Amino acid sequence: MDTGFVVAVDVGGTCTDCVVFRPGEPLRIGKSLSTPPDFAHGVMDAVRSAALSMGLELEALLGETALFLHGSTVVDNALLTKEGAPTGLVTTAGFEDTLLMTRGAYGRWSGQPEEVIKHPVATDRPSPLVPRTRIFGVRERVDKNGEVLETLDEPSVEAAVGALLRQGVRAVAVCLLWSFRNPAHERRVREIIRRMDATVEVSISSEVAPVPGEYERSSTTVINAYAAGVTRAYLEELSKLLSRARYGGELLVMQGYGGLVPVAEAAKRPVGMIECGPAAGMIGARFLGDVLGDADIIAADMGGTTFKVGVISGGELDYAREPLVDRYHYIAAKLELVSIGAGGGSIVTIEPHTRRPKVGPRSAGSRPGPVCYGRGGAEPTLTDVAAIIGYMDPRTFLGGALPLDIEAARRVFEHKVARPLGMEVEEAAIGIYRIACAQLSDLVRSVTVERGLDPREFVLHAFGGSCGLFAGAFARELGIERVLIPFTASVNCAFGMVTADVVHNYAVVQPVAAPVAAESINGILQPMAEQALRQLAAEGFAPEAVRLKWAVDLRYRRQVHQVTTPLRLSGSAVSGLPVTEEAAQRLLNDFEQLYEMRYGRGSAFRAAGIELVTFRLTASGLMRRPDSRPEPSGSEDATAAQMGERAIFVESASGLRPARTYDFARLRPGNRVPGPAVVHSAITTLVVPAGQRAHMDGYRNLVLTAG
Amino acid sequence: MDPVTFEIIRHRLFRVVEEAVITLKNVSGSPTTNEGHDLMVSLYTASGGLLMGGVGFLHHLSSASEACKAIIRRFGASVSAGDVYLLNDPYTAALHTSDVYLIAPIHYQGERVAWSACFVHVNDIGAMNPGGFSPEARDIFHEGFSSPGLRIVQRGELCEDVLDTLLNMVRSPEMVGLDLRSMIACNHVAAERMCALLDRYGAPALAEVGNTLIEQSEQLLRQRLSELPNGRWHARQYMDVEGKPVTIQLAMTKKGDALVFDFTGSSPQLDRGVNCTRWATWGGLLAPLYPTLCNDMTWNEGILRPVSMIAPEGTVVNCVRPAPVSIATTAAVQAVNNASLLCISKMLAASPDYASEATAVWHGSHLCLYLFCRNARGDTVIGSTTETFAGSGGARWQRDGMDVGGEIPNPISRMANVETNEAMFPIRYLFRRRMRDSGGAGEFRGGTGGEYAIVPHGALEDTVGFVVSGKGVEFPMGHGLGGGYPGAPGRYVIVRGGGDGPGAPLALEEMADARQEVNWGVYSLRGKDVLYVRWNGAGGIGDPMRRAPEAVAADVREGVVSVEAARKLYGVALTPALEVDAAATQALRRGRCNGSSQRSKTMLPRTCRSCGYSEPAGNFRIVERLMRELGSVYTTGAHTLLREVRCPACGEAIDAQVAARGDPPIIDEVSQT
Repeated sequence: MDTGFVVAVDVGGTCTDCVVFRPGEPLRIGKSLSTPPDFAHGVMDAVRSAALSMGLELEALLGETALFLHGSTVVDNALLTKEGAPTGLVTTAGFEDTLLMTRGAYGRWSGQPEEVIKHPVATDRPSPLVPRTRIFGVRERVDKNGEVLETLDEPSVEAAVGALLRQGVRAVAVCLLWSFRNPAHERRVREIIRRMDATVEVSISSEVAPVPGEYERSSTTVINAYAAGVTRAYLEELSKLLSRARYGGELLVMQGYGGLVPVAEAAKRPVGMIECGPAAGMIGARFLGDVLGDADIIAADMGGTTFKVGVISGGELDYAREPLVDRYHYIAAKLELVSIGAGGGSIVTIEPHTRRPKVGPRSAGSRPGPVCYGRGGAEPTLTDVAAIIGYMDPRTFLGGALPLDIEAARRVFEHKVARPLGMEVEEAAIGIYRIACAQLSDLVRSVTVERGLDPREFVLHAFGGSCGLFAGAFARELGIERVLIPFTASVNCAFGMVTADVVHNYAVVQPVAAPVAAESINGILQPMAEQALRQLAAEGFAPEAVRLKWAVDLRYRRQVHQVTTPLRLSGSAVSGLPVTEEAAQRLLNDFEQLYEMRYGRGSAFRAAGIELVTFRLTASGLMRRPDSRPEPSGSEDATAAQMGERAIFVESASGLRPARTYDFARLRPGNRVPGPAVVHSAITTLVVPAGQRAHMDGYRNLVLTAG
Repeated sequence: MDPVTFEIIRHRLFRVVEEAVITLKNVSGSPTTNEGHDLMVSLYTASGGLLMGGVGFLHHLSSASEACKAIIRRFGASVSAGDVYLLNDPYTAALHTSDVYLIAPIHYQGERVAWSACFVHVNDIGAMNPGGFSPEARDIFHEGFSSPGLRIVQRGELCEDVLDTLLNMVRSPEMVGLDLRSMIACNHVAAERMCALLDRYGAPALAEVGNTLIEQSEQLLRQRLSELPNGRWHARQYMDVEGKPVTIQLAMTKKGDALVFDFTGSSPQLDRGVNCTRWATWGGLLAPLYPTLCNDMTWNEGILRPVSMIAPEGTVVNCVRPAPVSIATTAAVQAVNNASLLCISKMLAASPDYASEATAVWHGSHLCLYLFCRNARGDTVIGSTTETFAGSGGARWQRDGMDVGGEIPNPISRMANVETNEAMFPIRYLFRRRMRDSGGAGEFRGGTGGEYAIVPHGALEDTVGFVVSGKGVEFPMGHGLGGGYPGAPGRYVIVRGGGDGPGAPLALEEMADARQEVNWGVYSLRGKDVLYVRWNGAGGIGDPMRRAPEAVAADVREGVVSVEAARKLYGVALTPALEVDAAATQALRRGRCNGSSQRSKTMLPRTCRSCGYSEPAGNFRIVERLMRELGSVYTTGAHTLLREVRCPACGEAIDAQVAARGDPPIIDEVSQT
């Protein structure tokens, strides 16, 4: 393992990215187009492209590969295209409609933009993944303490399963009330299903999402069951292709919470793979932050259709509270990533009545794409706006493979935007650019401020093809002083995987009122630790390569907010156990502090008493990281990388001014590019606003600061 | 100002409101605020006009504007930066005492430039019944603390004496204290974000954007109104209060670019807290306007300008002090919402350009449930179970309504999970589901309401008290449109010793006979007593006999329409396998809906959409029957009629009205000139 390659591949909507590293060698990169629906072939293409850049055959690279890491949109895609298995749901009798009712209108407005929320007559829920005719209630009941009020009526289970099988169901989700407090009935239902048909996929909610809230838990379990078959087939196909290409090692799969798990486990819990690529990107951002000494990071990714933001605060990742996938609610440990439909392909329109300009949410995507791509795009996009104000280089885009038709962009923009606004072309384009910046900065602001964080204390990591066009401008609006465009920005998610660890999450819901004796907490945590250590040992991790992190969800009684609070322990080196009385007391204090930080001063509600609800364990098997030794810095002078000069939009001048353009590939560590300027690479563009400068550090990251 | 800067400032104003809402939800950890979204935050101009309305309960947008104006009148020049005012007197501006407004001026460089205002339904207001809705109140003095204007924060300093006095009068002071603090924090965030905006763009720019937005919304609404036909549309809502019908009568006249809502003919005010004060009625009629006619506009003062109201004093829509009003928001306000929505929809349906926006009445009546009890530990627990916010979606033009699909006056409502409620209260649910046959029948079916049953579980002394004030029990309030039927009414039933433990009943029909209808008052459950609650369905659109038989069969298979209703209301016969029996269906539908399948793109009064038959004098066939003949879910009495207006030529129903015996039919008029 020490001498072999580590290969990481991330399948995105458009591209499949590959990163290869071996200790002591520079990172290698491969890229290819994604190949839906047979994504596995695109994976092999991307690895082949990386191998090629190393002068190797695919088999030669994989034959020497010790570890293969993988993230894929296969689950997201199955939901988007509705290509999951015909699925049934078994639930507690009397509550068969829970999934379909979506807690009232919640399923209709959740995650929708302002215009949609304001127009209820025109909006609907997404159509359910399981129709009512495939939902069956079974007699049983457990109460909130996990006590059985009514034992499971097995004949009604058999009848339900029989009916589902007759309807041709290939997957069954099981979600019973309070099952996360007592999973016995759900497990028994699974046994009965397996007995009746061993080939049907079964997901039970006490394993997939052992948390309170039966609507979200049902929805999660249904998503899991629905995507199980597709995911398993995909992972099996990939394993087959890999072994055919002489790979003999283990396949680890990325999870939405930012950790890796063995392929067998990933196949059981597809819901864990949702949005795992961007989650890996967050892990990569945290790694870069560790290397550079930044603990507070806003990671922003902007491609063709969406702008996605995640936050790392004090080195800690943030987890989503009400996640949605394709408008379906689910609960899973998942990194928080908030997105809006704003990307390079976002279409600019003018509202006819008010003359109000609008950016997105419609996108021209990559086909037909922006007008300036000359591939038949007839609607002006943000990329066209950037081209009009001088930010795009007509000759070097995609390494010169796609010459840009800026005149066409101007013509269309003038006709569809500038003239209706009664403005000159440049003036209008500048205005649209500012609107986009305002939207992006508003999203970043909401993501940080909602968590009680001040964006001015963060460094911004800008990823994706379009982010560099806007990052300098919107960062300034937010008062962010430093923007980093990582060297690996174009393969961000794959890069993140090689910096991730194997991570398993465990949770036990067991509400207890504070104060709690340390002994009783230990009674809950000890079995969790044993389970985790067993699992990681089975995966080949020696005890010294294992770290256990504990947290507890606490709340004030009679309040709805729970706050996940780290449990700081100083016992054993591996597990931190045992919990001492001081640690138990510290937990309560930490909770109160976090609560006030998130919900504002004066929101703490001590009088009601505190309750410990969920005990969480994150168990990591530590992986080897890429080397991170900086190259020595050379001259500040970047003249050697200069390409030419062009008029670009300069905010401080409120108009177009001449500025230098630079070639990213020719910049060297230590070089400084004073603004106003534009730095071009084959894949991205970085605008250096006037009054700022870009500096290439020893890792070949570009750092934008005032100066 | 260039349109770009304008758009940026407009967007930022909306964001200010959103950020303030987040603060409100965060600080108040209350389930009503967080799970039910019973809240509102908006910005107002320096003189108190509506500047930027947020989402939440929309009937508050204009009332909070009146509250700002009342504070200006009362405190005049003494209003200072950093002040926060409380107002909850319904005779000044509020809707009822427990929806407490907290209002704060926003100052910039020494000048007052705007106001922010918000409300949450506080946990308790010290009224005679716990939780805020007081069915036993006979006048406003029974309804708890009420203030026409009180300074609660002075120049940034919380007036602890005032706060402590308030909290001394309520049942759960910690929860109410937090509710009030959340609103203070919310106003604080609004002011802070507004000032950041002003730092960037300056006060004159903001004022210009505000004024222009208001003018724009006014012009847009006037433009839209002038594109719609002139006419006079009617709606009549009945609220039954302890068995007696109360009428809300509305005539909406649209002429040119203005709308007049006239409530003449409505019942006199009552000594039960269902009445609306003038501002409550005004807010109630405006609420459905925003998300229908104005969904693409900024919700501000401009939308109010083309609209006027006639509400005779001393009636249920403009009560005189000291009439009680604590139930208004779920009583007369909602009846006004429904009547207003129905009139607006009829107007939209008369225009080929806007008919697609028409909708039948959604969730006609709130069936709230306030529990008060002590849990096993002895803590007092008061609160709402929030199912009432789950609602039901009215049928849309060419589309069914959403089952349990929310409501129009609050576009972001939702209900809590069963597990959340069982964790919060010492109760156990026996079932919670959609209510079969409750969606109003129609060519496009109204969304169903729901039903649930609870029983004490782990309560101190095995006892759980509750407060209910049901309306829309005798008379369905979720009216249909263009021949669509009303959704079924709601009800509350106590079944003494109804069941618990193994084999607990899964439906009302499975429970013992000891049933007690408890639509109004304060009651308690002991031991195995069950409380059954049903909330109402929404109205349908079009004659049910027009509904595609396949769609009816699918509803039956889905369990939301019964085989009997399919046959009786839709004229659809099904085979034992629940497939359409085409021949039998044809026989059932004989004599009905014989007009063309190509139908007019509009719905006009006294005109058949199918055969074009039109009779200005109103020579349509009236078919009257008792509402309860529609099916067992229409648990109405001997005075509630369904009055269908049928085309004499082709037999299609063009209207289906809810009527109390003896009331005249409703006749609308449209003139295309």
